[in-house]
Amino acid sequence: MGQRVTVEPATFTLVDFDAAELEALVEGLLDQLGLDGPLTLEVDERTPLGRAVITSLDPLVLEVESGALQDARSLRSFSAVSSTNVLGRLLLRVRDRLDPAFGEPPADTDLTFPQAAAWDAYSVGRLVRLGHDRFDERQRRLYQFRTRHGFSDVADAAFAALWDGTDLTWADIERLSGDAAAAAA
Amino acid sequence: MKKLFPVEELARDDRFRRVAIAERITDGRSPANAKNQEKLQGRLTPARPDAPDAARQLMHGIFTGEIQALEGAGRTCWDFPVGKVTDEAPDAVPFELKLDMARQCWDEARHCEISVKLSDWMGTVIGEFSEATFLYEAACNPDPVLRLTGVNRALEGLAIDVFNTMREFGDSAGDPVLEFCEDWMLADEVTHVKMGSDWLRRLTATDPERQARALEFQRIVDKLFSLGGFRGEDDDSPVRLARRFRELAGFDTDEMDELAEISRESRDEATRYQEQALAAADGGA
Repeated sequence: MGQRVTVEPATFTLVDFDAAELEALVEGLLDQLGLDGPLTLEVDERTPLGRAVITSLDPLVLEVESGALQDARSLRSFSAVSSTNVLGRLLLRVRDRLDPAFGEPPADTDLTFPQAAAWDAYSVGRLVRLGHDRFDERQRRLYQFRTRHGFSDVADAAFAALWDGTDLTWADIERLSGDAAAAAA
Repeated sequence: MKKLFPVEELARDDRFRRVAIAERITDGRSPANAKNQEKLQGRLTPARPDAPDAARQLMHGIFTGEIQALEGAGRTCWDFPVGKVTDEAPDAVPFELKLDMARQCWDEARHCEISVKLSDWMGTVIGEFSEATFLYEAACNPDPVLRLTGVNRALEGLAIDVFNTMREFGDSAGDPVLEFCEDWMLADEVTHVKMGSDWLRRLTATDPERQARALEFQRIVDKLFSLGGFRGEDDDSPVRLARRFRELAGFDTDEMDELAEISRESRDEATRYQEQALAAADGGA
């Protein structure tokens, strides 16, 4: 039987990350979210930026820049909390995409900023309820949502529905995002 | 009470973590290595995919900078004797200079409070990001003229650029709170830079050699604070040189042209450091 989680590279030279620690963290998230794997996590340690994307669903491949996994207070240092936040959010997207009842969202690269912010709000809200809070994640995601949908009461109400949402579909997310954006127009 | 207070002894609780400028510059990673370069770098506008988080991080940097600006202006009120410059007191300053510094302390304290509230608004917790202390380090120069030139012209000048960028970000993102707060703080920064320009001129009116040393110190601080092209006039500079506001604060066109050139040099040097570090890492792998 193959390895459930593979981290590439196996050894890091530009950052103080440990592949085994990352593998264990991802395995824990897969268990908690009810996902099987196998999963490959490709970490680009040559850049300090924080981009994190799903590049393939079958096989499951996540591509992450090193800044997304580091402690924002300490250059090159690994942060389990930040990594859980970033990878957990991506894996919830994976779980949504694998659920036929969720609908058919566009590819990650085709998501608009408002769509991405709305899906993030829904994903991180669930992640926090699973016990993975990080600093003030709700306010952070609210700010992201407002920046992408306008600063209005309608946008805040849409955000609350996403953040507290369970069993939402892509159509629900699109509708809430669209309503919020329309109020600002 | 101790004079010329060292940076290591600044009071901070355990939420704050410092990262030295050398550590940042010698980080072997480079944004230039990112596979997807699409708008990830460049000016801080909502068009950047990472804009909300980049704005939060910059706001945290502003907050820690305001703390150090308060500490620096406070030290300038205390570190130097009042009176005329003599052989016995070469660092003496007029009382009116201390009044200006006291007023600046009041402004900076208010900016700290505004920055904390803005951080709350944006979802940032104090200490979520690291603190760079080089602003205060520039405020440790034992010559009051050099200190004021380095702090009030170079660093507060950078604050003009940063606040103007954040104000424009607030405007284009439709964030009325951010735009309003940055606009008011920007007005104060213009005043602080003007103070530096005025005191430099008055204190060195009969001492061109001291003025030259002060301007050289300003250039050094400006280069450090260009942070590898962080502030400049190129399209990929996150913070843009705010020429109009700098003009109001006493900068002439030649000075601003020179600043733009310093920023370019700083970016080129940072690129070279990163390439060397990357080559060393590849060689060792």
